[in-house]
Amino acid sequence: MIVPYDHILILAVLLFLTGAACVVARRTLIMILIGVEIMLNAAGIALVGGSLKWGVLGGQVFVIFIMAVAAAEVAVGLALIVHSHRRSGSVEADHYHLMKG
Amino acid sequence: MKTVLLLLMLFPLMGAALNALLGRYLTRRGVAAVACAAVLGALAMAVAAMVNTTAITRDIRLFDWFSVDGFQAVMNVHYDHLAAVMALMITFVSSVIHLYSVSFMREDEGIIRYFCYLNLFVFAMLVIALADNLIFVFLGWEGVGFCSYVLIGFWYSDEAKAAAGRKAFLLTRIGDAAFGVALGLFFLIFKDLSISHIVARTSLLSLGTATLLGLLLLWAAVGKSAQLPLLVWLPDAMAGPSPVSALIHAATMVTAGVYLLMRLFPILILSPAALMCTAIVGTLTALFGSFAALVQSDIKRVLAYSTISQVGYMLLAVGVADIVGGMFHLLSHAFFKSLLFLAAGCIIQALAGEHNIFRMGNLRRHLPGVSLLFLAGCLCLGTFPLLGGYFSKDRILLATFVHSGELSKVLWVIGMAAAFLTSLYTFRLYFIAFQDRPDGRKKDEFLQIPGFMSWVLYPLALTALFDGLLNLPGGFGKLFLGRYLASVPGSIVEVHATAREIWGMRIGSAALSLGGMVSAYFLWRRKSEEPALRGLRQVLFTGFYLDIFYERVIARPYNRIAGLLWTDIDEGGLDRGSEKIGGGFQRLSQGLRLWTTGRLSTYLRMLFLGFAALLCLLSLSWYIQ
Repeated sequence: MIVPYDHILILAVLLFLTGAACVVARRTLIMILIGVEIMLNAAGIALVGGSLKWGVLGGQVFVIFIMAVAAAEVAVGLALIVHSHRRSGSVEADHYHLMKG
Repeated sequence: MKTVLLLLMLFPLMGAALNALLGRYLTRRGVAAVACAAVLGALAMAVAAMVNTTAITRDIRLFDWFSVDGFQAVMNVHYDHLAAVMALMITFVSSVIHLYSVSFMREDEGIIRYFCYLNLFVFAMLVIALADNLIFVFLGWEGVGFCSYVLIGFWYSDEAKAAAGRKAFLLTRIGDAAFGVALGLFFLIFKDLSISHIVARTSLLSLGTATLLGLLLLWAAVGKSAQLPLLVWLPDAMAGPSPVSALIHAATMVTAGVYLLMRLFPILILSPAALMCTAIVGTLTALFGSFAALVQSDIKRVLAYSTISQVGYMLLAVGVADIVGGMFHLLSHAFFKSLLFLAAGCIIQALAGEHNIFRMGNLRRHLPGVSLLFLAGCLCLGTFPLLGGYFSKDRILLATFVHSGELSKVLWVIGMAAAFLTSLYTFRLYFIAFQDRPDGRKKDEFLQIPGFMSWVLYPLALTALFDGLLNLPGGFGKLFLGRYLASVPGSIVEVHATAREIWGMRIGSAALSLGGMVSAYFLWRRKSEEPALRGLRQVLFTGFYLDIFYERVIARPYNRIAGLLWTDIDEGGLDRGSEKIGGGFQRLSQGLRLWTTGRLSTYLRMLFLGFAALLCLLSLSWYIQ
């Protein structure tokens, strides 16, 4: 393996934190969704790295699953965002507070 | 035979069911016709059953109800001569009363309800009279109690009348509780509740158990038959319509207790103590009732106390082991007392609901037919020589006199005194209400009543006057009833007494009866003003304050405890406690509500914060390791 496993993990952590920061800091629903995608990909990189390091195929299988789920999630998530934008004319996350106790 | 007995019980039940389900589609005449036909059918069946009896005692299996763990509830009919006589009496008296009711209730709007319950009552009473299994006797026993309750409170919109019904129901339940306990004991000892089974195996009983069972049965009878100390419900039960008083509270239901004791007499006779208690209760009640009847001013209350007193005589007869005398008196009492109640019903209707005898007077002149019938009833009740109750009461008193033991002589003296008082109060009632007097009622104050109401009473009057023929002490047809009932376990055909005792008793009681009558004539012939209730008169009027005593000693403390349980423990303790707990949780959730801001960004931030904290903890634990 050319790239050391530590580097892969550091990249994954950086990506994950970027994604998390995006989710927390941005208020638009689309940006939150992008942040979640980035976090998912960070987890995927860590899994692929692990699978290469120990020579176990399970990690790569997992990544394929994650990609499928992420695709489905984006499809549903974007549809929901479009629908709520039509209904209330806003894609701001804090605009939706029907769940307030 | 099976069909006849089944029909005997089913006719009234079908009448009740038909009126209950389809009564509103029938005319008033139709409702009455259904009810009367049902009871007349039952009368025909009772006669047919009596004529058809070939064997002395027959147990006829009608149907099985259920059987659980060795206990079998089988509806058998224990048809012996006692049951035959009782069933015939019940159906005859209720036929007359049903016919009378058609006229009596001619303007009442609750006629369907009335006839339905009346038929149901006849059914339940026949079950008591005929059933072999005590569980069915108990069902009938409760059935008559229920019908009595609804018919006393028939005019339920009047609060006092509804309360009288409730009182009767509650007080008779006190007796029924003892019946229930007795049923349990019977099953424990005999493994069966069939009367024929029990009576055949009385040798299984020890003296103590027999006494206990006898006393429990006596207590049950005391509740149902309105004896001391549970008699306070009967005078109030007069709130019901007069035919109901005649049927339920004079002729049949109140004698059910005595009948039960006769039916289970082989158990009672095992225990001298139970017999003695029965005799004492009966005698004291006879005296009590006579005293109380002496000062009443309501015509129906006089008759009610008189019923209490006469049922006391029947209990005395059972107590001195003469069930033939008891049955004889039961029959004659049923005839003359229902006659008196029905005639009183005519008078009350003719005077637009007047019950007070001091506001009557002149009835003999203006209501000659009814007063003749009432006089016949009075002569029977006052044991006028050779009429009605004379022979039966004579037989009971004779049996008491010759019964062994010193106590029976004392009871005999009390019984004789009560007999004198009976004659006295009966003719007091007659003279005050019926004699001519200047301030009595005028001709135009009388309402027209249907002639049928008095015509239908003539058969009853004839049986009442001449029912002594059933059991004449001598001559042709001597002791007919006694010989007929000879097959009933424990009965004696003739009271064994010397000729001197017999003749002394006959002349003595005739003298007492005539003496009471003559005294009443001189005391109350011209009486027209209602005397003030003071001193002894007040004590007697209230029934020796027994009612007030129960009110103060039992009802009021009970109400207070119930009130305490209700307001302080239930409402104050349980209800408020659970309300407080619920309120606490409500306040807690009000606080927790503030946490849910509904802002997605806050939630996400918190999610990551929690995740980070979790990771920190995890790495910390690795680091420590």
